[in-house]
Amino acid sequence: MCDYSGKLVAWIDRELPEREAADVEQHILACAECRRRVDAYKRVSASFVAYCDAAVGQKTPSRLRHWVPVLSGVAAAAVLSLVFLRVPVKQIPVRPQEAVASPASVMETVPRPVKPVHRQRSLPRMKTPNASWTPAGPAIQIVIPAEAMFPPGAVPEGVNFIADLDIGADGSAQGLRLQP
Amino acid sequence: MSGDSLPLILPLSRFATDSREATTLYRELRKPLLRYLVCLGLSSDEAQDVVQDAFLSLHKHLVSGGPQDNIRCWLFRVAHNRARNRQHSYDRRFGTQLDLDTESISHAATPEQVVLEKEKFRRLGKAIRLLTPSERECLLLRASGLRYREIGEVLGISTSTVADTVDRAIKKLAEKCNV
Repeated sequence: MCDYSGKLVAWIDRELPEREAADVEQHILACAECRRRVDAYKRVSASFVAYCDAAVGQKTPSRLRHWVPVLSGVAAAAVLSLVFLRVPVKQIPVRPQEAVASPASVMETVPRPVKPVHRQRSLPRMKTPNASWTPAGPAIQIVIPAEAMFPPGAVPEGVNFIADLDIGADGSAQGLRLQP
Repeated sequence: MSGDSLPLILPLSRFATDSREATTLYRELRKPLLRYLVCLGLSSDEAQDVVQDAFLSLHKHLVSGGPQDNIRCWLFRVAHNRARNRQHSYDRRFGTQLDLDTESISHAATPEQVVLEKEKFRRLGKAIRLLTPSERECLLLRASGLRYREIGEVLGISTSTVADTVDRAIKKLAEKCNV
């Protein structure tokens, strides 16, 4: 076997020092056996990547296909679901002074005392990157202070995010998206 | 994939110069991470969980003032370790049950090409199963675009060991697949 055979893969991956790489390159030009090996290693590398892609395609995500994961996870989802179930309004602005750090407290305060300001105008749909994702029912936007959903210091003070929650015909949440 | 919506823009935006930069970070790294984890043997749901977890850890890491150089390598290392902790899933291993259907070989134009591609993948899958865990991990990380030095950091081994392992693994595959 050629002395250079142990350097061919590293050469393909551009992992050799410059001078060594130039040396290997010169050799490959002169050695038909190494050229054949380089071709074979490149082909098998490309096949490996294709195999990975096929493996991922085979295992299409199931649970999260229509559900956008949210950083605040269960807490945020619970807050929003509760609000939706108890206060069927188009939009609920929460006054900043009612915001508290604990999501559990928010669950108590948000639905009850707030006088909802009904805004009849329909809010513009946010552009969804995935065109196949369409809401199953009317979209609802709820404004909640960021500090009510995240630990203190997690987000800049006073910044709010819009949570876009879509509800299916059976009342289940179909999609949840946060946007600054 | 619907996960292209970007909830993780929120905490990362503190550290990115603008939200577009945070968006790019998440967009660029999410899919390679998912692919790596699924190929390691995790289910799609588990992989989603681990990726979510990894980005949360990144947030904590940055909040605590951790170094911000080579975030990609950092995320792969965290995801790798989380995947390892799910020992049961991790042991399922990549290449064990991949029975590709025709749709997976969409670029094959004719039935003959489909048959050839399937046969090629079958042989490759068989060869991959013969690799050692370390060889598979190195090849997967290499397929994700990581440099040998980065692969070494993710797996906790030296760069020269990575080079030797990748070299050995590619040669095994080439020999078994007869390409």
